[in-house]
Amino acid sequence: MIKPQNPWRSVFPGAVFLTVLLSAGCSSHFKQAKFYYSEGQLRARAYETAQAAASYKRALLEAEKAVQSNPSAQAFMLKGLAEAALEKWPDAENSFLQAFAFGFVEGEEWARDAARLGLSSSLDELGLKEAALRSIVDVIDHAKFRPARLEAARRYVDLSLAAAAGLDGKEKTNALAAVAKTLEKLIDGDFACGFYHYLLSQTESHREDYRKSFEEAAIARELGLPTEKVLRDNDLQIVFIYTQMKERLSPDESKAFEELIGRWTRRWGWRDPLTPGWKKE
Amino acid sequence: MDKKRAEHILDNGVKVLKEFLPLKTYIYFPLLYSICVWAVRRIFDLKERVLAWQVWLEPEMVESKPDAFILDFFERTEGVREAFAEEVRGKDMAALRKAFSGLYPVCGLEDAFLLALFQEELEAGEFRKIADEFRERAVRAIEDIKPAGSGQEFWRGMQSVGMEMAKLGIHILTDVQVRKIILDRIRKKVKQDED
Repeated sequence: MIKPQNPWRSVFPGAVFLTVLLSAGCSSHFKQAKFYYSEGQLRARAYETAQAAASYKRALLEAEKAVQSNPSAQAFMLKGLAEAALEKWPDAENSFLQAFAFGFVEGEEWARDAARLGLSSSLDELGLKEAALRSIVDVIDHAKFRPARLEAARRYVDLSLAAAAGLDGKEKTNALAAVAKTLEKLIDGDFACGFYHYLLSQTESHREDYRKSFEEAAIARELGLPTEKVLRDNDLQIVFIYTQMKERLSPDESKAFEELIGRWTRRWGWRDPLTPGWKKE
Repeated sequence: MDKKRAEHILDNGVKVLKEFLPLKTYIYFPLLYSICVWAVRRIFDLKERVLAWQVWLEPEMVESKPDAFILDFFERTEGVREAFAEEVRGKDMAALRKAFSGLYPVCGLEDAFLLALFQEELEAGEFRKIADEFRERAVRAIEDIKPAGSGQEFWRGMQSVGMEMAKLGIHILTDVQVRKIILDRIRKKVKQDED
């Protein structure tokens, strides 16, 4: 006699296999996103800007798949981190809020930081410079999310320096001193952040304190900068300071400065103090 | 270096470009030149590099430079100095500042792709044209590459050009020689098609 076949006998192994496959797929998107995000961070630290950006893009693609197939606080947080790295602030805000909804406690705070950065961009684009500046200062003072604080610091410096350029005499001196003071405070809190030293070097150059500007640019180079573009801009700042200092110093001072800058530029592999290594022949 | 072999490799590169970007001949040189520059530095993750090009258009550095920095750039950069001599003499900072935003990424920061994109203008000393057209042309080039960049075949073709050129020892050539050999091949192959 032929026994009636239990339909589950044939379906069950397939269903189990499918479930395992799907969950492996979900976790693999998350794992891939984590892998690419970490890779992006490593690349960024090694000045490999282009590869870093590409890794963040891949991380974002994988995180998007992960939140669709298996939404979780971690997946949304990772998505938000990748978006923040790519400066997609409004998207990052949404992702952090979603992460908060899934139980990531700091998500709400991070979302607020991203939102305030997004708001400052909109205000700036609408020509409301003062309001934009206030919003940015708020991020610098209160942000818990470090990438938001770094980006806010850059925007703060850019907007403040542009505003100071339109001032004269004492007003300009005071405005620039206030920018330098804010940056020094940031450096006190995070000395190892090369980007803050780069921002201070740029500011000191507006104040025509070239020696200080050089020191900060050299520290920035030693500590590392987030992108190759910033690194090159920092190098050109050093070249500019060199030419300015040569014009201003006495022959003796000039000789001493030449020796100092020569030591640094040799260490960085420059052909001479006017030619960074990446300059074309 | 085996010149004939280099020409053959570059011809293959042009063939791939013609297949994927048939109507965008102006991007051939920026792409092939960047790939050769990276090949010398042993960089072969071309897809990642090209996909991240727009990063160079993002304002991640401090854009507000003091007048002295801008003047120094115009005074010390060969070609730019002559092209803007009048503005520099008259310290016309409004005009210099405007031109600086387009010229600094090309002639100051020297990204290989941007250098090649404005190669004709650089050779002809048309620095005012670069300043006027920088943003629009850079954005258009990146947008034009995107459709070809979605397929793996395109990247495999480009990668092979970079690796073959590196194997040939392209590093022994000067930058000017590399640019000349690439431009010659592109012009020849594009002309062949037109004929």
